[in-house]
Amino acid sequence: MQEEKIRKLIFSRKHLIKTSNNLSSHRLEAAEGGCGVIGVASTQKLKGKYFFDALIQMKNRGNGKGGGVAVLGLNPRQLGVSQEELKEKYILQIAFLDDTIVETLENENIKPFLEISKEYWVDTLDNYESLGLETSPPKIKRYFCSVKNNWRKKFIENNKLHDIDIKEIDDEIIFQVTYKLNNQFYASLGEKKAFVLSAGKNIVVFKLVGYAHDVIRYYKLEDFEGNIWIGHHRYPTKGRVWHPGGAHPFVSVNSALVHNGDFSNYYSITQYLKQKQIEPLFLTDTEVAIYLFDLWKRVYGYTLESVIEAMAPTTERDFKLLPGDKQLKYQAIQTKHFHGSPDGPWFFIIGYSNTKNTNIELIGITDTSMLRPQVFAIQQNDYATIGLVASERQAIDAFLASLSNEDKRFYAKADKYWVARGGSHTDGGAFVFSLENTFNEKNIQLICKNKFGEKIKVRKPAKDELVPAKAFENVNDFSERLNKIISKANNLDQLLTLIRGKHINIEEIITYYTFLLDRLHLSKYNNVGWARAKIEQELFSFFRSLPLINSEEKSRIYLLNWDIKNKLEPPKQMDASLAIDIRDFPAEGNSSAARIIIEAYKKGWKRIYTFDWRGQRFCCSGLGPNTEDLRVDVYGNPGDYLGSGLDGAEVYVHCSTQDQVGQIMRRGKLVIYGDVGQAFLYGAKGGEIYVLGNTAGRPLINAVGKPKVVINGTSLDYLAESFMAGDPLKGGGFVIVNAVFFDENGEVRQIPTPYHGSNLFSLASGGAIYIRDPKNMIEKDQLNGGDIFDLREEDKKLINCFLKKNQQLFGINLLELNEYETFSDIVNTYKKIAPIKLDVLK
Amino acid sequence: MNGVNDKILAKKVAKHSNNIRNGLDVLPSLKYGVPSGMGNVRWTSDLILSTYYQAKNGNPPNNGLNYLTGASKGGFDCIHFKREKEILETEISRTDEKNIDLSISLNKKKVGRKLDIKIPAYGGGMSFGSVSLNFMISRAMAAKELGTLTCTGEGGYPEPLMKFKDHIIVQLATGMFGVREETLQIAPVIEFKYAQGAKPGLGGHLLADKVTAAVAKMRESTEFTSLYSPFPFHSVYSVEDHKKHVDWVKTINPYALVSVKVSTPRDVDMVAIGSYYAGAEIIHIDGAYGGTGAAPEIAKKNIAMPIEYAIPIVHKYLIKEGVRDDVTLIASGGIRTAFDAAKAIALGADGVVIGTSEAVAVGCTHCGNCERGRGCQIGITTTDPELSLFIDPIWGSKRIINMYKSWIIQWRKILAALGLSSIRELVGKNEVLYYKKQVF
Repeated sequence: MQEEKIRKLIFSRKHLIKTSNNLSSHRLEAAEGGCGVIGVASTQKLKGKYFFDALIQMKNRGNGKGGGVAVLGLNPRQLGVSQEELKEKYILQIAFLDDTIVETLENENIKPFLEISKEYWVDTLDNYESLGLETSPPKIKRYFCSVKNNWRKKFIENNKLHDIDIKEIDDEIIFQVTYKLNNQFYASLGEKKAFVLSAGKNIVVFKLVGYAHDVIRYYKLEDFEGNIWIGHHRYPTKGRVWHPGGAHPFVSVNSALVHNGDFSNYYSITQYLKQKQIEPLFLTDTEVAIYLFDLWKRVYGYTLESVIEAMAPTTERDFKLLPGDKQLKYQAIQTKHFHGSPDGPWFFIIGYSNTKNTNIELIGITDTSMLRPQVFAIQQNDYATIGLVASERQAIDAFLASLSNEDKRFYAKADKYWVARGGSHTDGGAFVFSLENTFNEKNIQLICKNKFGEKIKVRKPAKDELVPAKAFENVNDFSERLNKIISKANNLDQLLTLIRGKHINIEEIITYYTFLLDRLHLSKYNNVGWARAKIEQELFSFFRSLPLINSEEKSRIYLLNWDIKNKLEPPKQMDASLAIDIRDFPAEGNSSAARIIIEAYKKGWKRIYTFDWRGQRFCCSGLGPNTEDLRVDVYGNPGDYLGSGLDGAEVYVHCSTQDQVGQIMRRGKLVIYGDVGQAFLYGAKGGEIYVLGNTAGRPLINAVGKPKVVINGTSLDYLAESFMAGDPLKGGGFVIVNAVFFDENGEVRQIPTPYHGSNLFSLASGGAIYIRDPKNMIEKDQLNGGDIFDLREEDKKLINCFLKKNQQLFGINLLELNEYETFSDIVNTYKKIAPIKLDVLK
Repeated sequence: MNGVNDKILAKKVAKHSNNIRNGLDVLPSLKYGVPSGMGNVRWTSDLILSTYYQAKNGNPPNNGLNYLTGASKGGFDCIHFKREKEILETEISRTDEKNIDLSISLNKKKVGRKLDIKIPAYGGGMSFGSVSLNFMISRAMAAKELGTLTCTGEGGYPEPLMKFKDHIIVQLATGMFGVREETLQIAPVIEFKYAQGAKPGLGGHLLADKVTAAVAKMRESTEFTSLYSPFPFHSVYSVEDHKKHVDWVKTINPYALVSVKVSTPRDVDMVAIGSYYAGAEIIHIDGAYGGTGAAPEIAKKNIAMPIEYAIPIVHKYLIKEGVRDDVTLIASGGIRTAFDAAKAIALGADGVVIGTSEAVAVGCTHCGNCERGRGCQIGITTTDPELSLFIDPIWGSKRIINMYKSWIIQWRKILAALGLSSIRELVGKNEVLYYKKQVF
């Protein structure tokens, strides 16, 4: 029955291919790469203006050659329709690059098939040049419409679709109307005259040649409301792009997709789609991706789980670990759709309006090899629940910061951040934020599930409880004094005020605030976004109250910011410290945040606090060799490549970091009080590195020499591939993986499976991994070139020594994991993974 | 004891290198005819011997050796200058020498440091590990003398090269071996090696045999353990990551020029333009003919596009995009002779990168045993502490300089015969070429 339906629906498109111009070669029009993407789903409608900061901060992921937004869960009043109309009518948005064809287009391509109940031009700014745009953005006409009865009847008759649900028929008719329209007015003409921006229920899309924030400005979307927003900056490799058709999101009926990446089997997918009577019209890989989604979700009627499996197949060991029934099902999907699976680096964010139940969904899917960065996050406050997904953590934080500025019910940090493991048996590499009851504002609900439908647990909005002093016990000389202050406070607010009110020296105040940040994971504020946001805010405002570097005032710490960056002078007294307000410095280039740190160090500053990072890159890169005399503290949201090339200095990062941390690091110390992104310590040669949380894919790839690393969480996959770091017992490198996390009460807990990935220590020829595995869950088939060895006394000593240092830094006492009594009990639960001599490696 | 050993070693080295040098001097004179079994269709015995000749004498051979083309039935062997006869007959006087400019600019952008090289060629990356230190020093000395550059390859920056730092390109490749901030900071040009034309899509693999103590130390790895360079940059999976990568290097060294070395896939034009917009000054396309003897046979001639196809595609695409005047296009991969180089330039490149020819200049016979630790009997692609002494840097650099001196004569002749006064005028002038099938 289902099969028959699919066949008939696909067959009904037969004429589409015939009329389409014959594209002899499916060559991509422009290769494109990374791109900056963000998607947000909220139970409360959000306005376009909240996205400015996030999009502007991600500007360096695009190049201004294409920007777009998709909005779902619309406000009927703003559209000038009733709630009922919004629910029932399709919204067709057409971009006109040439408005002399409006009438022809409507008469030939819309009116014979669709009943238009309302139509108007979308309001824009008067001129586009004021935004710095080079190309005139398209005029957009919005139509509210439904399928004409007589055309539907004819369509059913012609294609013998009698037993199919009318809603599905209508969706297919809309698909074919838009496909033909694009084919006629965009793909086949030399001059591109018009194309469909979006077609579906409760969804609209806007795009132009520029950045995504230009879209919001030009189409006056600052106050436009929606429950789901998706923004995209495009980065096509070509310089000359004159028309917006290639910008994302790409759409099909009721859905919009943005893409970060570039697949290598575009041609194969076009051939696969051709068999399903679809030929690409816009010649970008993103376009075929939305056709795939639409085909599997709408035409095949697959569940989201099956769609995700078709896109990012579960393979290798992950497949083996699936339950038997899933294996059967997935194998069937893979066999049928293998040639349609995008191969290579990609990450999709999809907005989907489910016309069957009026749910709207925000979906993030990453490729099987996790080649593109992505971060998911969630915030649940008393007022709303927001789910977020983006190519960078800093974009999420920038969005939340700007939202919390406008609306105090939100706060500047998410409660929970995580990354997906592509094509895995654990989460499937995909998460869905689903908004239910979208037309009933009081009962609207946001549910986050992974590919397998397992809900992501979100804690209830946390109360502002007394800071538990336990978290700050037994550390050093000042912890007693801090604890005294803590005992006087009733809540976090009071505590922060008390710290600042104390007549103690400014360094001590900074130490206290820093210490609160560094110990949050051991308190009840673990995974409480507002607590972190509040402490950071307080600390930043304290930094900003310090005397400026060019002031006469005597101080132990001076402040430098963007406005007075030229006033940077050598320190007046030897032991003075410098605080740099990073906020307004550019992300890269000659006057970037990274360069100002280099300059300050060259001028003689040895102790530098840097705060309010907003995604600026290359923090502490370029300092050069022999920088042992420097210590840098980092607060905020530092961007990619932090500490890359570090050669001596100590860097303390009091927050999470992004991708490419510590690339080619050689010496020095790097302490990260949070998580780390992709390709951590790539090609590193040495140094001591401590990470409080998890590291994403590919940590320590191609590291050599003697890096000594402690990771308290775990890694996604490909840990220490091609590790070549000698013998750890003779001064070589190693990684200790503790596999712990912290629960809502700040208690240390064991991660159930210490390492999920299929690849551990692949092709490594030196160094070692010491991984805590009390339940013997590491399997030999995770290894490729390594083996599990018994711990020798020297190994135990080494682990012991580094666990002690780790405890000092993060306050993690592994003895608190109930099953242990003595430290040597713990050490005995580590496994050593080291290289074996392989013939092929000789 | 050591002293005695050293003496024995020195004696052995002297004996062998003398033999090698004598051989290299005698062979091109054809006194004993052409050695049988030498070379292959691309590097014919004539090309090898004529390179030996030029490396000794500093001018093109006049004893009948064919120094213009090989016998591959393809590539530059089928492309000729229409005025080849006039070119060969042209006499270059001293005044011409002054009036014909062979220099090219490595930064054609309006901003950033200016860097011109005196000849339209520089040395390609060959790592310490793949080749011997003495050969690297020879190349560096030659580059300095010739007013051009050479490249470290991916294997670190040996201390003795520091003397030539203004002439040394630092390569940043996927294994990141030996890459340190301090070496990036002294480099005039930083080369990102994304792929090699000889083996696109494949990483490097230095066999355990060649990872001697010195090599392991330089790469901070373990002795006699195979070393891998992964096939991609794990921090660069897309063009926007590439821009970030370039920005990173420019943060470390704002004065360095960035060269992006890529192979020649079907969409090489897209890659080139993407690299330019990401901030590269030099686009270096590496075609399929080049590469070391260590590249897998299956990869060598079957993956990338031939360089003579790729150059015009990229050249024209950069023109179409309106940026050709802002970017230096460098071609490599099988450019064996001065004529090959000139043909590449006429097809649209600004200049070329030379690797193998420099090895031939110091005696490479194209035996193809490069991957083995003690495979190279001449002392070029070896890291064996004894074999690598066969090349004395002063002798080696002299040979390389001589080869280029001969090339300079040929380039001047070509330009003079075509009525051009600068090599820059030859760029993209493909009407001076024609195609002729090779028939034997």
